Amino acid sequence: MGKISEAETKLEKISAPRTNREFIDACVKSGDAVRIKQEVDWDNEAGAIVRRCCELGEAAPFMENIKDYPGFSYFGAPLSTYRRMAISLGMDPASTLPQIGAEYLKRTNSEPIEPVVIDKRDAPCKENILLGDDVDLTKLPVPLVHDGDGGRYVGTWHAVITKHPVRGDVNWGMYRQMMWDGRTMSGAVFPFSDLGKALTEYYLPRGEGCPFATAIGLSPLAAMAACAPSPIPEPELTGMLAGEAVRLVKCETNDLEVPADAEIIIEGMILPDYKVEEGPFGEYTGYRTSPRDFRVTFRVDAITYRNNATMTISNMGVPQDEGQLLRSFSLGLELEKLLKSQGIPVTGVYMHPRSTHHMMIVGVKPTYAGIAMQIAQLAFGSKLGPWFHMVMVVDDQTDIFNWDEVYHAFCTRCNPERGIHVFKNTTGTALYPHATPHDRKYSIGSQVLFDCLWPVDWDKTNDVPTLVSFKSVYPKDIQEKVVDNWANYGFRGAKK
Amino acid sequence: MANKWEVFVMDLGELAEGKQLELTVRTLNDGLQKYTYQRAKVEVSSKLDQFPDSLQVRLGRGQLSPQRYSIRVIETVNRLPERYR
Ligand SMILES: Cc1cc2nc3c(=O)[nH]c(=O)nc-3n(C[C@H](O)[C@H](O)[C@H](O)COP(=O)(O)O)c2cc1C
Ligand SMILES: [Mn+2]
Repeated sequence: MGKISEAETKLEKISAPRTNREFIDACVKSGDAVRIKQEVDWDNEAGAIVRRCCELGEAAPFMENIKDYPGFSYFGAPLSTYRRMAISLGMDPASTLPQIGAEYLKRTNSEPIEPVVIDKRDAPCKENILLGDDVDLTKLPVPLVHDGDGGRYVGTWHAVITKHPVRGDVNWGMYRQMMWDGRTMSGAVFPFSDLGKALTEYYLPRGEGCPFATAIGLSPLAAMAACAPSPIPEPELTGMLAGEAVRLVKCETNDLEVPADAEIIIEGMILPDYKVEEGPFGEYTGYRTSPRDFRVTFRVDAITYRNNATMTISNMGVPQDEGQLLRSFSLGLELEKLLKSQGIPVTGVYMHPRSTHHMMIVGVKPTYAGIAMQIAQLAFGSKLGPWFHMVMVVDDQTDIFNWDEVYHAFCTRCNPERGIHVFKNTTGTALYPHATPHDRKYSIGSQVLFDCLWPVDWDKTNDVPTLVSFKSVYPKDIQEKVVDNWANYGFRGAKK
Repeated sequence: MANKWEVFVMDLGELAEGKQLELTVRTLNDGLQKYTYQRAKVEVSSKLDQFPDSLQVRLGRGQLSPQRYSIRVIETVNRLPERYR
């Protein structure tokens, strides 16, 4: 472990929005959310608004008047811009991506912060409680997000909360949930996800139901934790990101605890022996790829919600929505942590959101043979692996955030015979557009490494080509002279 | 009033005519229940005036089929095991 400097260990006081409402207020104030007062239809219109906001990089729509559902509102595209991501972390909205990334690393490398359980009377999510015959999902403004979807989706920006039956650790995972009828939801819980593993390892073989609670309208950092591929349990991770403990409250019908400040809670049981259809649905890849199928089925026992509850909506499709932006961000940073934990001299890891988090770009000091292969094996072999199928390794001279530089390195240095390595029979998902129908059905994957490093056995002086650029070939004094005289030569461009 | 229904199929061949079928259909009637599903025994016909209700069809990835049907919902089927009801 490297030594941590004094400055790094001192955590400044974080003042991140603690609830979805505080987050909306902050976004409205900075011009990063728009209040829409005219009536919006839950049937396609709200979805279309959110989609267009994503494609235009617009402010987030806060829709305060929803057809058929007086008293409810929608907040769409909560984290589909880096500005809103910065606001969610309590940072200046103008923060750069590397700054936001550094802050994420700092906070998620700090001490875990345990959640606190509060009294039901103090929990906003208990303001309205529906039990027994009153339980009906159609009382919530569940949107039809994309025309042609297999159903109205209850969970698009939320957390499915469960507890591991043996280890007892709590999992908050963002796994999409469709309303099948007023008491039933179905969802795509991948077999390699934390919930997927608990179901296949424990509940399904025993024929036991798995208690769950779905929390919608979370604080933005709780939502960030629920879709971050971190090994830290999400309630603690949320606390670390927020710099303070998450407030939890006990469920009405099971022993789970849910975020007390969430807007809507749906409690129930995942049934081990009953399945209904789920999908198709617009996905983060920009397609509807995964087929309609009989999937994990959630039976609803209770619904609780705040007065004037806000339902959060993520509308996934072509870039860029939070599926791409946020997941590229956290997948990249979690891989950076993993590689550094193994002592690999990485200079950075980045996924371009428009790769729909399919390509991991890793910068590294190429100090020994096989370093790109070691990176790819760790990346593909880790918990993160199923979510991307390309790893591109470039040297520390290449700016991983600059696609022009990365693309140039790829097209010039990646040897077709020795630089491209295909990994077969790995883990995939039903969502990969390039996967065969068979591989989608069984979550079978294949992956590829693009090694864009100069081989270590090339003579550095005589075999490795010299990069020819303004910065790399001219003496410093000539560079300075040319830059200083740029306007004098008659050019009107920037001095730099 | 006639009801509007929708079904997802991979192939229109799943909608055989002249016999009873069991399908998962969703209602397209306006209101809070719109797009909720039920399992039902039905008969369908490509003759649009054969049965009182209408049925539209979506294919595997949500594409709306130009082929329309009329449908009669004979009875709903509850596949949910008794112990969960
Ligand atoms: C908007 C959105 C929707 C998602 N939907 C699903 C899903 O339906 N199924 C799934 O397994 N993962 C889904 N994910 C990814 C998971 O949230 C992510 O893998 C998360 O880290 C799960 O954590 P786990 O490691 O606790 O399983 C989604 C992510 C986002 C941002
Ligand atoms: Mn987890």
